[in-house]
Amino acid sequence: MNNNKSKHALLSVSALALMGTMLTPAASWAMDGEKVIQEKCLSCHTRTGNPETPYSRISQQRKTPEGWQMTLQRMQHRNGLVLSSEETQAVIRYLSDTQGLAPSEAAPFRYVLEQKPNVVEDVDPAYKEMCARCHSNARFGLQRRTEDEWKELVNTHMAIHPTTELHALARDRRWYDIALNETAPKLAMDYAFNDAAWKQWQKMAKPKLEGSWSVAGYMPAKGDYSAILKVVKTSDNKYSVNLDGHYADGSLLSGNGAAQVFSGYEWRASLTIDGVSMRQVMAASTDGTSLTGRMYQSAHDEIGGDLRAVNGSAIVGLSPSALKQGETSEVTIFGGYLKGSVNLGAGVKVLKVLSRDADRVVVAAKASASATVGMRDVAVGATKAKAQLAVYDKVATVQVSPPQSLARIGGNGGKIPKVQSTYRALAFSAGKDGQPGTDDDLRLGYMPATWSLKPQNEVAEEDRDVEFAGTIDSNGVFTPGDTGPNPQRKMSTNNVGMLKVVASVKDGDSTVEGESDLLVAVPSYIKRAIQ
Amino acid sequence: MKHLKSFNKKAKMLDQTTSPDQVEEVVAMQTIVGCTSTNDPGWEVDPFGGLGSLCQPMESDLYGCADACWWPAQVPDTMSNYPEWSQDVSKANEDWRKLDGIFPEEQK
Repeated sequence: MNNNKSKHALLSVSALALMGTMLTPAASWAMDGEKVIQEKCLSCHTRTGNPETPYSRISQQRKTPEGWQMTLQRMQHRNGLVLSSEETQAVIRYLSDTQGLAPSEAAPFRYVLEQKPNVVEDVDPAYKEMCARCHSNARFGLQRRTEDEWKELVNTHMAIHPTTELHALARDRRWYDIALNETAPKLAMDYAFNDAAWKQWQKMAKPKLEGSWSVAGYMPAKGDYSAILKVVKTSDNKYSVNLDGHYADGSLLSGNGAAQVFSGYEWRASLTIDGVSMRQVMAASTDGTSLTGRMYQSAHDEIGGDLRAVNGSAIVGLSPSALKQGETSEVTIFGGYLKGSVNLGAGVKVLKVLSRDADRVVVAAKASASATVGMRDVAVGATKAKAQLAVYDKVATVQVSPPQSLARIGGNGGKIPKVQSTYRALAFSAGKDGQPGTDDDLRLGYMPATWSLKPQNEVAEEDRDVEFAGTIDSNGVFTPGDTGPNPQRKMSTNNVGMLKVVASVKDGDSTVEGESDLLVAVPSYIKRAIQ
Repeated sequence: MKHLKSFNKKAKMLDQTTSPDQVEEVVAMQTIVGCTSTNDPGWEVDPFGGLGSLCQPMESDLYGCADACWWPAQVPDTMSNYPEWSQDVSKANEDWRKLDGIFPEEQK
């Protein structure tokens, strides 16, 4: 086997294949995925004779577009399948649309499609030792198979990765019997091929995504932003997109690109925004009123943030989202085509409208010293949104988001880039009971902070991890150290480390700190569309 | 266990991992998506939730992981999937800069 697909690590993984042919002529989309399957896949797979599930193995599984993409990559890498890029796209399109996942089936695991970093999963103990020692829960949670197919997967693992035995704790238990007779049947129940959700979704009218969308999002080092997303249909399931707006500090954001929609709701877009190649992975709501997901840098998928778009004119966010009693501040209302007077709720006076753009309204506002602590609805003319603005007395606690994080050393002339991690400070006031950490705490939203690092424990202090493992900048972006053995460290240890990320939020004359754990680890040499 | 006494440094570290707080930390780090929870000795964290029992620097023992298909989601397995991943790099601890990541062809 001489088809090692070792590629330069600067490439992002998610949805790349899905995006690749978006730039090809529309005519290539006319290619019939089912015909390609019949011509190329049936040299090994066979016809079952059952029109409901016509092809052996292929027809007994359902997956996300990325899941099918990975299957085709494996078939090409291991089994000698030869497909052109257009044929690959046609098969992914056909299988995603006919054997995909319903919105409700994909919903619990969207983070992995979105390439969201630092997600900690709560894995069912039955899968923890059998599957999740190598894979995310999302890897198998985003597949639907018949029981026989889940069993085949056990055997595939044995064939491809014989050390699966050891990972599955074969030294201590009859792992193969458990995998076949307990895990596979459980997978077939929890992630059932014949789940009614997919059949129901296939029958439903699919959301129409053309038009203008009010967008709110966040980008590390840049901040919150508002924008208008314009979507124009260019052919079936294919769109051109324009994104134009402002970051909360007033700087402009502008870009365009193309999008595809798989399975009727899976939005995958590739855009160039201010010269940077970006990707969007979103899900359309079943009623077509919103798109939610994440936008990230193509070359560094860890650099990105949540994105929400609402069809038409709507208030989609506020920056800042909290005012202290007695404070005067600029407040930006994110939303498309907002017209009319601005109302920020009881006790908050709009002093002046500073500017209006298609994607936002900026006002100067003052919270009175006696304004009651709590959330306010916000309105601009007839457009209203619930619980957008908090008025607070003081910041009681700060949480650093994410609470657990991972960065990976890299660079230093090698081929594997560094994997950064990014942080935000989420503030809360104590609520009516005056006690922080209780259910009535008031979420104030993300606040500016100064950032620092400290050792996570005594060992980290003794090993001087803070000195070697990396640095954090004023935007809360952590850049890990160089990869490679470091002769300056004991035993030439890599620049790994266990750190705490500390956020200090100013609140009047006082400072409130929060912290979270950061592990700076060695590189991962493998990346998949679904980890 | 009460009749057994920790004999060496590693055994003493094992004894020290029993506090629930520490166990919680280990579990959290193991379950960040993308990390392995095979912790003998571990790729990102060791069985104690720290870094002290990892192979360090990892380049010195990298092929011990790759050849044995030990962390197939983090390190290319040269046993069956990527036999040529390291063929031009005989000493990872010296020529680690030449080692590339694995990214499928379609993702160019």
